Amino acid sequence: MRSGEIREYADSDGSYGPVTTQYAHFEGVTLESGVFLGPLTVAYETYGTLSRKRDNAVLILHALSGDAHAAGINPNGRTGWWDAMIGPGKGIDTDKYFVVCSNCIGGCKGTTGPPSVNPETGKPYGRSFPRVTIADMVNVQAMLVQHLGIEKLHNVIGGSMGGMQALEWAVTHPEMVKSAVVIAATARLSPQGIAFNWVGRNAIYSDPARVNTALEQAHVYQKMGRGLAVARMIGHITYLSEETMEAKFGRNRTFRDVDGYRYTLGENGKEDGEFEVESYLEHQGSTFMRRFDEDSYVVITKAIDLFDLEGTYGDLSTAFKNITAKMLVVSFNSDWLYPTSMSMAIVRSLQAGRKDVSFVELDLPYGHDSFLVSAGIPSLTRIIRGFLNSVR
Amino acid sequence: MSAEKGLVRTPFHEFEVGFNIIVDLIKPGTRVLDLGCGTGTLLQRLRDEKDVEGCGVELNQEKVIKCFERGIRVMTLDLDEGLGGFPDLSYEYVVLSRTLQQLMYPEMLVREMLRVASKSIITFPNFGHWRIVLEFVRTGRMPFCATHPHPWYNTPDIHRLTIKDFRDFMKQLGGKIEREIHIINNTPREDAFWGPRRAEWGCFLISAV
Repeated sequence: MRSGEIREYADSDGSYGPVTTQYAHFEGVTLESGVFLGPLTVAYETYGTLSRKRDNAVLILHALSGDAHAAGINPNGRTGWWDAMIGPGKGIDTDKYFVVCSNCIGGCKGTTGPPSVNPETGKPYGRSFPRVTIADMVNVQAMLVQHLGIEKLHNVIGGSMGGMQALEWAVTHPEMVKSAVVIAATARLSPQGIAFNWVGRNAIYSDPARVNTALEQAHVYQKMGRGLAVARMIGHITYLSEETMEAKFGRNRTFRDVDGYRYTLGENGKEDGEFEVESYLEHQGSTFMRRFDEDSYVVITKAIDLFDLEGTYGDLSTAFKNITAKMLVVSFNSDWLYPTSMSMAIVRSLQAGRKDVSFVELDLPYGHDSFLVSAGIPSLTRIIRGFLNSVR
Repeated sequence: MSAEKGLVRTPFHEFEVGFNIIVDLIKPGTRVLDLGCGTGTLLQRLRDEKDVEGCGVELNQEKVIKCFERGIRVMTLDLDEGLGGFPDLSYEYVVLSRTLQQLMYPEMLVREMLRVASKSIITFPNFGHWRIVLEFVRTGRMPFCATHPHPWYNTPDIHRLTIKDFRDFMKQLGGKIEREIHIINNTPREDAFWGPRRAEWGCFLISAV
């Protein structure tokens, strides 16, 4: 690990080095719904060193399909999902900050969620997992932060669902956050966003394997159908922009159907993707089947759907009344899922409350996922580094 | 300085003197909103020299990013869409430097400035300078000079104005002119003979009546 050098632009090169996921155990948590969920395990990773004054902690908040492994290389040889941003000399500099990232409650990457065993039945929760909200995710993160001996975070930062959490942190835990970065997020999910999530969950619900499966065995058989893959494909369409799809795939074909009259039949009588965009989505869906739990997908998308600070507090200005954190809101002009207008709604309400808010709309063509795309990293790196430096 | 080339590019055009004047006009420890803040040079000076709590507004992405790198609070907003998000009198000063003549709706924005801050500072290139007027009369063509360096068909300066125009504008808007500074040969003057015809730049400190 090199030290002290500031890097203008970084790749996902795993330069932080080897990391392993750690686990914190808690008795449980009372969810927003009033349901007590316990015992509770939280999977997390840390990078860098906590300062003596314990004032240099940055909490990373992952999006829908993310996990605690944000940077470095884990024992499976996988590089963290935001490794281009987090590491020595990178935008979130691990030489300077103590960086923490945890898997959200309801997830399937080590933190208690649907695949975890329900102590009452001795079987996985599956779809009987209680409803969780973005606020529940944040409360569990706060438990972890306190467990790590941190009273006040230098910063909380996340994109998409992570951005919702960053906002929720600033609203409900003002005493614990000095600053928050809200990327490609919204204070209330739009009906369009709810609609896409609904279609995704319906793909899972209409899985033929699911219908014939006894509830208590749900988890065992869940991966037999392709509902989750379809849900992921729909998701991926919404994360990209038309421009990116054009540039990345165009109308290119992976192969040509020589007969021209019938669909090329692949496995199980299913059509193989002929266009590159089709095989891309196919690949994304299939990979997702292997790495994600469909019940977690249901639980987390539901939490996203329910996120509505405006509805919860009456209006956004009231929701933001207690915010003391220095705020940074980032949007992407090609993001049509969480468009700039939604970030502007957050910004305007913060302004009305005379909060310390910065706002930048980045001109990047990669859609909602711009904060994860390597070509989007250089500008984001400069902005985040500058912002984190300016937080006192 | 040859007549063909028009006015030379004065240091004010690079804006060293201009910033000095603005910095002098601003009381320490205040809140300042800088519209069209560029890379944050003025706000950085105000922060370092006058302990000012600043916020910039800028549309150019590269400039916005520079502001972040300097630790300047900044927002990507289009001034032609007004200052809707800013509450009444939320700043002590709002600065509009070298940008007035480039706005699509100058009247709307200046009204907004008077609403958002108790005092506004506006600087602009003076189209009423005698050399510009002379060039216009002599050649019959749109003057091309240091303060207006672009040809008419490709210029950001879409609303050219003179110092006297600005005085009339204030009467029209009901704004009060508290200070009127003329930049003549790179020197700020407030009592110069024939000032509105000799100034390359005008700098006004105004407030709502």
